[in-house]
Amino acid sequence: MVITGGTGYIGERVVALARSRGHTVVVASRRAPVAGDAKWIPFDMYSTGELVLPEGIQAIVHLAANTSPIDSAEADRELMAARKLLDAARQLSAKFVFVSSQTARPDAPTLYGQTKWRIEQDVLAAGGWVVRPGLVYGGAPRGLFGELMHTVQRFPVLPAFVPAPAIQPIHVDDLAAALIEIVCRSDIAPGVLRLACPEPVSFTSYLRALASDRLRTRRIFVPVPVVLLQGAAQMLKQHAGFRSAMERLRSLLDLPLMDSAADVKALGLHLRPLAVGMHPSGDMRRRQILLEGRALYSYVLRELPKGSLMRAYVRAVESLRNGASLSLPNSLTKWPSLLAAVDQGVRGDSGWISEFRWRLGAATRMAEATPEGARRFLGIPGRDGVVPVLLRIARAVVSEVAWRAVMPVVRPFVHVVSKRSNCGLS
Amino acid sequence: MKRDCDILIIGSGPAGVSAALPLVKAGLNVLMVDGGRRVVDPPPTENFLVWRRTERTQSRWMVGSEFQALKMQEAVSPKLRVPSLGYVFEDFEFENRVVGNDFVTIGSLATGGLSNAWGCGVARFSNDDLAQFPFQESQLLASYETVSRRIGISGRGTDDLSDYFGLDAWSQPPVPLDTLHAYMLEHYRKYRNLLNAQGFVLGRSRVAALTEAIGDRKPCERTGNCLWGCSRRALYSAVDEIPRLMSYGNFTLRSGFVVRAIARRNGSLAVEGSADGRQNCVMTAKKILVAAGTLATTRLVLTALGYQGERKLLSCPTAAFLAWVPRFLGAQRTPSFGLGQLSFALNLTAGARAMGSTFSTTGVPVSEFVSHAPLRNRYMTDILKNFLGSCVVGNVFLPGEFGAASARLSGNGQLIVSKSHDDTGSRLMVECSRILQRCFRKLGAVVIPGSFTVGKPGGDIHYAGTLPMRREPQIGETDSMGEVQGLDGVHVVDGASLSGLPEKSHTLTIMANADRIARRLVELCVSA
Repeated sequence: MVITGGTGYIGERVVALARSRGHTVVVASRRAPVAGDAKWIPFDMYSTGELVLPEGIQAIVHLAANTSPIDSAEADRELMAARKLLDAARQLSAKFVFVSSQTARPDAPTLYGQTKWRIEQDVLAAGGWVVRPGLVYGGAPRGLFGELMHTVQRFPVLPAFVPAPAIQPIHVDDLAAALIEIVCRSDIAPGVLRLACPEPVSFTSYLRALASDRLRTRRIFVPVPVVLLQGAAQMLKQHAGFRSAMERLRSLLDLPLMDSAADVKALGLHLRPLAVGMHPSGDMRRRQILLEGRALYSYVLRELPKGSLMRAYVRAVESLRNGASLSLPNSLTKWPSLLAAVDQGVRGDSGWISEFRWRLGAATRMAEATPEGARRFLGIPGRDGVVPVLLRIARAVVSEVAWRAVMPVVRPFVHVVSKRSNCGLS
Repeated sequence: MKRDCDILIIGSGPAGVSAALPLVKAGLNVLMVDGGRRVVDPPPTENFLVWRRTERTQSRWMVGSEFQALKMQEAVSPKLRVPSLGYVFEDFEFENRVVGNDFVTIGSLATGGLSNAWGCGVARFSNDDLAQFPFQESQLLASYETVSRRIGISGRGTDDLSDYFGLDAWSQPPVPLDTLHAYMLEHYRKYRNLLNAQGFVLGRSRVAALTEAIGDRKPCERTGNCLWGCSRRALYSAVDEIPRLMSYGNFTLRSGFVVRAIARRNGSLAVEGSADGRQNCVMTAKKILVAAGTLATTRLVLTALGYQGERKLLSCPTAAFLAWVPRFLGAQRTPSFGLGQLSFALNLTAGARAMGSTFSTTGVPVSEFVSHAPLRNRYMTDILKNFLGSCVVGNVFLPGEFGAASARLSGNGQLIVSKSHDDTGSRLMVECSRILQRCFRKLGAVVIPGSFTVGKPGGDIHYAGTLPMRREPQIGETDSMGEVQGLDGVHVVDGASLSGLPEKSHTLTIMANADRIARRLVELCVSA
């Protein structure tokens, strides 16, 4: 497939995902992609030259766009470029997927939205697919998402618009997966596909999540009437940098609700919730591994581990165990002493059990390699009489014996856990 | 073709270095080649108990910045899990094309070889031990003395193992015992006759650790970092003798040259190897002394001979155990020497003997013990925290003939080492375990039931004797100069040429033999 704009914010993810699934991808962009070994053809929307696409192309995904067209002349040229691509697609009998915008309307307030609409019409007339994504977020700090991230990073105080505008987010990786679905499947009818979180999210919640989950920082939100946003947009029209972001933002915040539920379902998409998508890794795995580490350490150390220990655990799992999480059930992460049920006493060549043992052994070694560990494992500093020592040993022995007694009852549960969690590790 | 040197020595370990010194002193041109790996991460300098308690970044020594200790969780010895010792063991099997079949095959490409990570045990082979060797004990005596005085050994004392180890005349005073070991020694003195009657003898360990300075090397202060490497250089490592060799103009060290083959080229002896990324470097010499470590040496020699058969490999069966000294329950941990403090010898049936030593548990990560017991980690940690301080770790070695394995070349030139099936070793170990339980009780200690663990075959890392010295060597054997039958001018001076492997530590004997052979070579050279 050819991906125009393949070096852009969304394009980068689509290219990576498609290649990881084994598809042959040709990136069509002005500059060659940084990751050296992808196929590339130079493509500039504003060039008037011939467009030559390689033979055997099965689809064109048109992501290249000008997010802030200055005047209608530019808009027209973008339209011509799209038509050129459509022609090329027709000649090669390739699918054409156009990534438009939620703001696309014939009477859109921005030239951007209007241009998208006009291209959409051409694409639909030619029997192609049009995708209208909601507010795309996540992944690298680029595009509108990058500008918002930059803004949140810069200003400790942010506006909480009142009444809060609603947005419908979609994670960039979910959008990339959807685009590839459309390319690969033959049962999706051409037309407009609306892809976004069906339930809207308030823009303020979005910014809060951006601050706390992605940037790990606190921000103060001050209520600001929405009208001021429009006023600000007017004032900042002079400053090109802000202008495009403000305009796009304003147009996004002004939108009516997009009915995306049907299209999302038709494509079989499971859109990740905002809280998950806002994590730097884009998914919950890292957090799961952190919680897993905390549970294992608490079990061994009998106290909560320091942050540096937990981070070391995550690093160890990511570099040595492929970053897979054990998917421990909540009961075990909340009450680490229950890990005694899984530690020992469960036989089986269950891959999960042996992985658990490896991780427990690793956590034990890492826990020992700290001053707290020296206290816990070596008993230094300290000097005790025989009696307290004997009592402590006795208590440990009693606990061990008690667990052994209980194992016949507990074992079936552990087996269930190990089977259920196995899928997370493949 | 002009020869590169008179004598080419393969390997910079204890054998290579001990052979080089007499040759270099006599003015011969010596070229030494080795794998060249060096320390990357220096070991800690502070007292073990202090840095464990205070150092926030101690994980880099205990676990490793790349989690080396976790990668090696399955390895047979705790030494292999020490991140700063990675350079000693890495890539040996790959570069030297050695494969173990249910047998642990460990060697070193480091400058100084395995002596960078050894237990420092030293002993002199007795007349009986040397019965199989094709020369008199008297011929080795001068070398034992030279080497012992040169490297610095300690443990001198008039105890029941003085004759067994036979090194006191050349030793420094012993490293002081910690309180647990002093207590056990006291008890031994009380029950000495009873224990001797049962064939059990106890005494101080003799180790290659300084108690008096030699050159730049400082004496042991019991900082307890022995497992990680001695920053004071009190523990002997052949790498510390390299500067002295380099001070001679007729000595050259070519590091990073891994020898792949020994051959004859245009009538001269040559070694082929890879160095600096180039595959086919060749060096010629009048004589080649092979000291690459038993496994690597065996492969080189068998390949040069085109030997298709099997060679017997001697390897000492080994076991470890934990003994509890109840008197010290609840006592505070004190700084302790990390290597052997007391050693014992005991008589088994069939005239066999076993030898072992006991160590403080302080310098070994507790995690090593936690993983061993069939108790849950949490409770095992609870118990060990309160209990391990009053314990000592012990090890036991049987003579090498009972752990025999075999080595042969595979079709594509690898050395395959396989263990032989023989039950005598395991039966003797069971007997050992019983005797130790009985005898240690008299020492005021209890061997924890179930703690006696027999090591995996090859776990002693003591292998020797594949190309033994014989009076009338056949193909695959060597003569009293270590010269390989069928390969004139190639002498094996490391463990591969030992004619027998008793239960004692063998490194000092290897060094003495290398020294002896080198001195003989000098004599022959001078008379020629």
